[in-house]
Amino acid sequence: MGGNVEEALVASLINLNHPAHYVSWHFFQMSVPNMVVIVLMFVVFGAALFLRAPGARKRGGPK
Amino acid sequence: MRRRRLTNGELNEAAKHYDGPYRSYDIVKEVSVATGVVMLIAVILTILFSSPDLPPSTISSWSRTMPIDFVTTAVSELDGTSETATYGPPYNHQSGSVQQIWFINLQKWLGVSHPINAPYDFVIQPLRMIPGDPALQREVSAYKRAPAKAQNAWTTAYTNALAKAKASAGALRVPPGNYGPVAPMMSALLALAQSGGLDGDLLTSSQFYQTDFTKPLMFIEDGNALNDRATYQHLQGEQWGMMNETGSYPGQVWLWLYTFWYQVSPISTSSNVDALVMAIMGVLSACFILIPFLPGIRSIPRRIPVYKLIWRDWYAAAGAAVEPPPSSPGSAPT
Amino acid sequence: MSSWTAKLREAGVRALPPEKLLPDSQPAYMTSAIYLFGALTIGALVTIIASGSILALKGPTWWHVQSIGHFFNSIHLWSVELFFFFMVVHLWGKFWMAAWRGGRARVWMTGAVTFLVAVPCAFTGYISQQNFDSQWIATQGKDGMNSLGVGAFFNVLNFGQMYSYHILLLPIAVVALVSLHILLVRNHGIVPPLPFSDSVPGAESKP
Repeated sequence: MGGNVEEALVASLINLNHPAHYVSWHFFQMSVPNMVVIVLMFVVFGAALFLRAPGARKRGGPK
Repeated sequence: MRRRRLTNGELNEAAKHYDGPYRSYDIVKEVSVATGVVMLIAVILTILFSSPDLPPSTISSWSRTMPIDFVTTAVSELDGTSETATYGPPYNHQSGSVQQIWFINLQKWLGVSHPINAPYDFVIQPLRMIPGDPALQREVSAYKRAPAKAQNAWTTAYTNALAKAKASAGALRVPPGNYGPVAPMMSALLALAQSGGLDGDLLTSSQFYQTDFTKPLMFIEDGNALNDRATYQHLQGEQWGMMNETGSYPGQVWLWLYTFWYQVSPISTSSNVDALVMAIMGVLSACFILIPFLPGIRSIPRRIPVYKLIWRDWYAAAGAAVEPPPSSPGSAPT
Repeated sequence: MSSWTAKLREAGVRALPPEKLLPDSQPAYMTSAIYLFGALTIGALVTIIASGSILALKGPTWWHVQSIGHFFNSIHLWSVELFFFFMVVHLWGKFWMAAWRGGRARVWMTGAVTFLVAVPCAFTGYISQQNFDSQWIATQGKDGMNSLGVGAFFNVLNFGQMYSYHILLLPIAVVALVSLHILLVRNHGIVPPLPFSDSVPGAESKP
């Protein structure tokens, strides 16, 4: 039982039911899916700082 | 010209009121659209990736695929050396897994609230429930009547023999030796476990309708069934497992700081590691809540001016080098 | 003798008159996309509760035996990931705005407590899965709980107790905290921009 991954009998376009890849650096270890989420958070935050909300005019200052 | 830094009091006063211009905005539409967008993203992720569902380990599956490990664990429950048997509160009065910080020993002070008597609950009682086997019942009685020294000699000899045992198709062959009643007891317990009866016995031992899986889970955890699967799935503490999900799914990324401390010596090597990590995270959580009141921390946004990006349109419209009156309400810069 | 009802109504209307509770305008400085993330977090919470309610209708075993159940379980899981994702980006934005200024400390604090209550809410959900992952998380999590004596009254190995916390008690807490957070935001208004320059002409004075 120890090493086998049981297949989840559910349809999905991309099968994630296999062991993840990991990135390691000294004692730091992170799965690639988790790294993707964290990197995406920084990217989205950065984008949000530069982008404007829909409908916001460029001149957001006092009239 | 000399300049001075605005004080926190001045910034707070300036931020209390806003008398500048407004623009039209539909709050209900924004939340509705946001909800629709998130639902759509969740459905797309579901169609692309679904979600993991690895079947649980049972005592039956454990004993069939890892009979030597099962019986080794069962003997350790019988002779009181297993992790559960030596745990301490809330299960018993031992001290094997009792943790404390300085003199504060909440685990001990809050006492035994969920008693587990490992030899009786995991071995003796289930064997007593097996009907139509008077020979087995005589062996169990013989074990219970024997002095502690004899019991210990049998279980120690049997445990040592298990290291040389062979398993084939779920059956166990242990080298011959002087094991007293322990050998037949373990054979019977193995058969009961492989039939699925032990899963049921441990769950419903106190009442029929039961949702408390403490006993079967503690028993399985004392062996290696869960442990081996967890190592394969990278869920162990030293693998930053608290953050991980089975398979290649993203896990609980928000637990990164909880699991971080389990990698850092001397915390990670302490016998009080869990208590220390919980205490550290308690303190950091309190600091997180109290950021508005923490000098230095609350000034970081001023010192690293990310805000100049956020409000760049506002500053550009008003003219960049604006000097707001220090004590006036935070109205539109002029 | 004045009426409790009237006092409550008057206090409510004073704190949140209708035009403040449901405004149809916003300060002109709110142009950045970062302002969307509070609403996205709420959207994720609504999705969590909707998908969770469907799972609750059919009971905790449904998703293991029916593919439509698994579908809703997947929506529930991904909406939790999205909830934490949007909530953290929202809190980063609010931190860099120093959004606690002007008497808004309680807004920050309710938001922080919401995050800290959402963590055990998710934890009890992972424990309620009734699969291998829940077995492992529960047997490991018990050591953390027991180390502080919490295991004496919060037994992560007790499925019934954990399921009750997950589908009732903790969601009520999260929704109550989010509601309080939003009402405080509406009461105080969205924090105005920091002054462009961190300093003003003049001699240094004691803070």
